[in-house]
This record gives sequence, C-alpha cells and structure tokens, in this order.
Amino acid sequence: MGERRATRLQIAVCNSDRIGRILKSDHSGRSFGFSFRVLPFRQPQGVRRVSVLSELKVGDSGVLITLDLPESVQNHLMHMGFVPNALVTALRRAPAGDPTVYGVDGMEIALRHETAEAIRVRPATAEDAQASNPQASEDQTHRESAAAELLEAAR
Amino acid sequence: MSSCCEPPPFKPPAAPPATALKTVLLIGPPNSGKSTLFNRLTGLRQKVANYPGVTVEQRMGLMAGVGREDLTLIDLPGIYSLTPYSEDARVAVDVLRGKMPGTPKPDAVLLVLDALHLTRQLMLAAPVLEVGLPTLVLLNMSDLMDSRGGHIDTLKLARELGAPVAQISATHGTGLDAVPLFLHQQTNRAAAKPLALPVVGNAASAHSWAAQVSRRTGYQAPLSVENSRKIDNILLHRIWGPLLFLLVVVGVFEVVFSIGQPLSDGFGDILARAADLIRPLLPAGWIQSLLLDGAWKGISSVLVFLPQILLLFLFIGILEDTGYLARAALIADRVMRTIGLNGKAFIPLLSAYACAVPAIMATRTIENRRDRLATILVTPFMTCSARLPVYMLLIAAFIPNIAFLHGFLGLRTIVMLSLYLAGFVGAMTTAWLLKSSILKSSETPFILELPQYRMPTLWSLSLRLIDRARIFLRQAGTIILCVTLALWVLAHLPVIQAPGGAISAPELADSLIGRLGHFIEPAIAPLGFNWKIGIGLLSSVLAREVMVSTMGTLYGADPGTQALSLQTALHHDMTLGGALALMIFFAFAMQCTSTMAVVRRETNSWMWPAVQFLYMLVLAYGAAFVVNHVTIAIIG
Repeated sequence: MGERRATRLQIAVCNSDRIGRILKSDHSGRSFGFSFRVLPFRQPQGVRRVSVLSELKVGDSGVLITLDLPESVQNHLMHMGFVPNALVTALRRAPAGDPTVYGVDGMEIALRHETAEAIRVRPATAEDAQASNPQASEDQTHRESAAAELLEAAR
Repeated sequence: MSSCCEPPPFKPPAAPPATALKTVLLIGPPNSGKSTLFNRLTGLRQKVANYPGVTVEQRMGLMAGVGREDLTLIDLPGIYSLTPYSEDARVAVDVLRGKMPGTPKPDAVLLVLDALHLTRQLMLAAPVLEVGLPTLVLLNMSDLMDSRGGHIDTLKLARELGAPVAQISATHGTGLDAVPLFLHQQTNRAAAKPLALPVVGNAASAHSWAAQVSRRTGYQAPLSVENSRKIDNILLHRIWGPLLFLLVVVGVFEVVFSIGQPLSDGFGDILARAADLIRPLLPAGWIQSLLLDGAWKGISSVLVFLPQILLLFLFIGILEDTGYLARAALIADRVMRTIGLNGKAFIPLLSAYACAVPAIMATRTIENRRDRLATILVTPFMTCSARLPVYMLLIAAFIPNIAFLHGFLGLRTIVMLSLYLAGFVGAMTTAWLLKSSILKSSETPFILELPQYRMPTLWSLSLRLIDRARIFLRQAGTIILCVTLALWVLAHLPVIQAPGGAISAPELADSLIGRLGHFIEPAIAPLGFNWKIGIGLLSSVLAREVMVSTMGTLYGADPGTQALSLQTALHHDMTLGGALALMIFFAFAMQCTSTMAVVRRETNSWMWPAVQFLYMLVLAYGAAFVVNHVTIAIIG
C-alpha cells in the first residue's frame, strides 16, 4: 500500500512538464486577474491596455511582454527573436486570413492565431520603436543617402 | 525514382596526413548560406534551397575547393540554438558535440552567420564557441551588407568572441581565403585556449548578450530591402496569391509538356541513330540482338525522358531557390489544417513532385512526430518525376492533341494535370484519414520563417541539374540495364532446337517471361491489362520508369512489333480504357524500392512501408478497375 503511494508520488514529481504547465497557468491566470481589476482605475482611456499578439492589426506594432507557451516552443520562439521587450509588427495575413506574418528583428515569421494568442504584448509607442533599433532611427535619411551614393559610385 | 537522390557513398581520403585536423564542421542558423558555402569549399554537389531546413541530414565532402583535399567538411542542418526543437536540429547538435554514431568527431568549426541579421544570429555564437573547438566565425552575405549600408567592426567582434572573424560572400565566393588560412593555422599550431564567454542559460539572456556584443562592435544593420515585401504584396495577396500559385503550377507542367516533348523527341532520334551507327560494327546474331534490341532499346526508351525530367527539376529548383516554397507553405496552411497537418508538411509534399526520397528526408523539419509520420506515409502519392515517363508515353500514344483556349491549354496537359491532381487528392484524403484516426494528436504550433526573396544563381541551378542528370544516368546504367538484360534473356529462353539443328528463340508468348506474364494475367485482366503490361507492372516495383524500358525490351524482342515505335506498338496491346487505367494505377501505386527503404529508415520499422505498399496497391487496383470499366461503358 505504502509502496504504491510512493511510486505514484514519484510519477507526479517526475512529470516536470505538467508541473511547469500548472505553475505557468497559475502565473498567467493571476496576472490576467490583476489587469482586470486595476485597468479601469488607471487607464480610463485604455491607452496601455495589455493585449495579445493576435489582436494586432496589420501594420501595428507591439512590445512583447511574455510568452504563455510550453517551454520548448517558448525557447524556440525566443531564439527566433520573440524575446521580452522585442518590437513585433504584424506585417500581413496569409490569403486565407490565418496565419499572420510578424516582423521581428528584421525577419519575417509566420504564426497561427492560436500561437499568437498566447504571446502577450503592449501597444508600441514611438520610444519603443526607437529603443529597439537605435541606429535605424538615429539618422535613417542620412544612411539612405549614403546607400544611394554607394550605389551611384558602383555605377 | 529509385536510389535517386541519395548522395553518392562518401569515401574518406585513403591515407589521412598525420595532422590533428581532419574534420571541419559547418554550422549556423537556418538559411544563413551554409550549403552554398559548402558547395564553394568542396566543389561537391549538395542540395541548396532558399527555405529554412533544406539540409536535412549531415553531408560530407572533401575541401577540394580551397585546396585541402585532406580535410573532410560536414554540412549540417541549420539550428537556432543548441536545445534542438526538431529532428533535423537534433542531428546538428549531436554532430557538433561529437555524439553522432558513424560521424567523425569535429576538430574545427566554421560558424556561418547571416551578417544582415547579426544580432539575432549571434545568439548561436556563444553556445557554439562554448563547445571549445577552434572556431572561425564567417559573416556571410557581406556583399549585400556593403551595398545596403550596413557596418560591423570585425576586429572588435573577434575580440568579443575570442575567435577569428571574417566577412565572406558565399554566393560570389569572396573572402573565402580566410578559410584555408584559418585551417592552416589550426594544422600547424596548437589551438589557443578559448576565451571565457559569459554563460548564457536561457534565450532571453542569450539575446541580451548578443545585443550587447553587436552594440559594442558598432554593428549597423543594413537597410532592410522592401523588395521582398513588395513581391509578397502580390504573391501573398488575398486573391492573387492563390491564383498565381495555381497558375505557376499549371504553367510549369504546360512548359514541361510543350517544350519538353520536342526536346525528348529530338533526343530519342539521336539515340536511335546512335544504335543504327553501332549496328554494322557488331557481329549479327544474338550479341547484336542482346545489346541493341535488348539493352539499348530498353535504356534509350527511358533516357529520352531526361530533357523533360531536367526541365521539371529546373522549375522546382527555381521555386526553391527564390524562396517561394515558404510562401506556398503559408498559403497552404489553411488547407493543410483542415486535414489535420500544418503548412510545413506542404514543403516536403511539393518537393515530392521531383522525388519522394529527399521529400521524406525533408519531413524531419516537422516537429510533431505523428504529423511527420502522416506526411511520410502520404508523400509517395505525390506525382514524382519517375511517373513522368510512363504518363508521357501513354498520353502521347492514346490522347489526341486537341487544343483549348487558343492553344494555351491542350487536352494532353489536362490529362496530365488530372493525374497530378489525383495523386494530390489521394495524399490529402489519406492524410485526413490518418490524422483523424490512428495518428490523431494535439497540434504543435506552426512557426515558419519566411526568407527574403533571392535571385537563383545560374551556378546553383546548373549544379542541381548536373547532379540530377548524373543520378538518372547512373540509374539507367545500373538497375535499368540489369532489368532489361534479365528480361531479354528470359524472353529468349527456352531456346528451340529446329529439326535442322539451328537454335532459335521461342515465340515471346512461349518464353519464360511470357509464361510468367500469362500466369498473372487473370489478376490484371479486369483492369484492361494483358500479360505484357503485367510483366511491366512486375518489373516496375523496382522503380516506376522501369515500366517503360521493360515495354521497350519486350516489343524489341517480338518480331511483330520490333520495327514499330513504342507508342504505336502499345496500340497492339491496349485500349483507351486500359491506358487510362494504367495511368491511374501508376498515380496511386507505390512502385519504388528506394522510397520503401527511406521510409523504413525514417520510421525505423518495416511495418510502415509494408502498410503503405499494401494500402496504395489496393487503392491503385480499385481505381484502375473503376476507370477501365467506366471508360468501356462510355466509349462502348
């Protein structure tokens, strides 16, 4: 009797995947409740509303907060550039309306609606766009003219 | 096509010189240009395509391109991190760590990074350098970097990473001197102790480290080119996207048929004339008959399709190299989802139009095991280029050349496209059946990187075609030669001794092969096939195109049809119903030993190829039966 209980306990402990998922859902559930309670007071206009990536309209950008996805998927996406504080832009939807192509770190990556739904973002501000790519915003016109000069020189 | 698509057996150098350095590894993120560089460094053939996950297993070659024939270069699938996400990435990580059985431990590493997206690509640098092997960091695509106004201080980067850094362009072959220089240093000098890099545990810290390094080295990302997005505005347009996709597919087959056919006919004439030239040189008698009517006729009946197969490979090569395949996967994702798979499964299915063997290996990029198995099981339904000779022969023989739409679309093209469609529908239906029954699984997220569009280089396309032609010719010289010789012998035994003592061959129907054909005839008669077609079906289990050479040899051995062309000779044995039934049989049946072998290897059991073979055989038989009887009912 005691032995059986011990093995069952062991199985439960070994199944780290399940534990991880429970912890994660607990965490996300709490933060979700938090946003519900606090938002009406702080942001009456809804400017800084916490939302998910799939809600971005085509052409809009968001700053990534967290990925509520299984560990392996999360790790994979992070190596593709979906890290916290990254600027993500919804570029286009596939002809059928799903998946959507997102621009992150200069690459284009397609995600289905249900994956994008698990990625939390906040709307990007002008500073975010600048912070994520300081060089690009510093003197874009200067660099464009430099590139044009280079091209002309090549000719 | 059998044994097609498998790289030639690799032979290590006979006597490796007594240096510590023997094996060099190419590693880097997907789509960073490793395979192009591999071609540059080895001069060996290697499949290069512009979508992530093309190199599905490690390939080896001698570094002859930089004058180091004593070194072995291994090309690996692209990886994003050392915690692999899919099967192909697992291979790469195992080889890097020297844990791959059958692959030598690497002595040095060439880390290829795409300079255009360096910040993200640097995330891979820390864990790779941490492995502790002497490493040369190659910043690829420096040509585009310069022309678009990007900048990086390579010296500073080298100091940050504790490893030499060089800017190269694999496409143009510039800056490659750094590789032999680095290798020379490694051969003649004990490796310096690697710099201690910050330990980067998770992805977030790896990213912040990479961002810091790129900032300290003055990295300026080049202007992103809007061309790719502009092209995508059309190719991924809600209406034009799918329409253009269909147009591309129809156009490819129309061109293969309308341009390829005259090319093939011309090539066939040359082959026939060559036989006529040789004929007087050989002594008349059985040797001449064996060589010319047996072997040559059999081989050349398959060889004539080489121009068309090369055309098909050219078009699929262009689609792959430009980066369009990834877009096709995106367009197809919605359709694939309804059958329970995702868009990634569509890429192997598309390349299966060329050959199922590399397509089945390409399924390694599919992360979900059950999805991968389902894709492997349905891939042989896709119309591979080995079916093309059979279709071409039967269509040219039985379908009249009627033009529609002012000559844009011919009846022959329509029949051809319907056969392709039949294969596609067979694949989709089977996948749906599998995914809604035995291979049901929870969905794995669909994550697909869309590479920038690139102009395919003439060089990589011609490498591809030369490679393909070589495989095709080798096949013709081995399997097809053996089968045709065996058939010729069987068709001429047992010899008959005439009363005068002269020895002659029996009537074809009385020969060994004829008796075998008659033995199986009752089984295939309902499909509208006679015993000669039956022999063709038996031999085509080895590889589909053997069917054509078998028919060539059989008709060559029969005095009644010897002088006729294969197309005319077929009319002796088949009605329209039988011809259509034969085509649909080929559309569904799994007649390819190399596909079975690769399925066995990838699924690690004989059960799946056996199930697949039986399932497809039953389906092919049923479909051929229906087609034959419907045609008879309509035509009367």
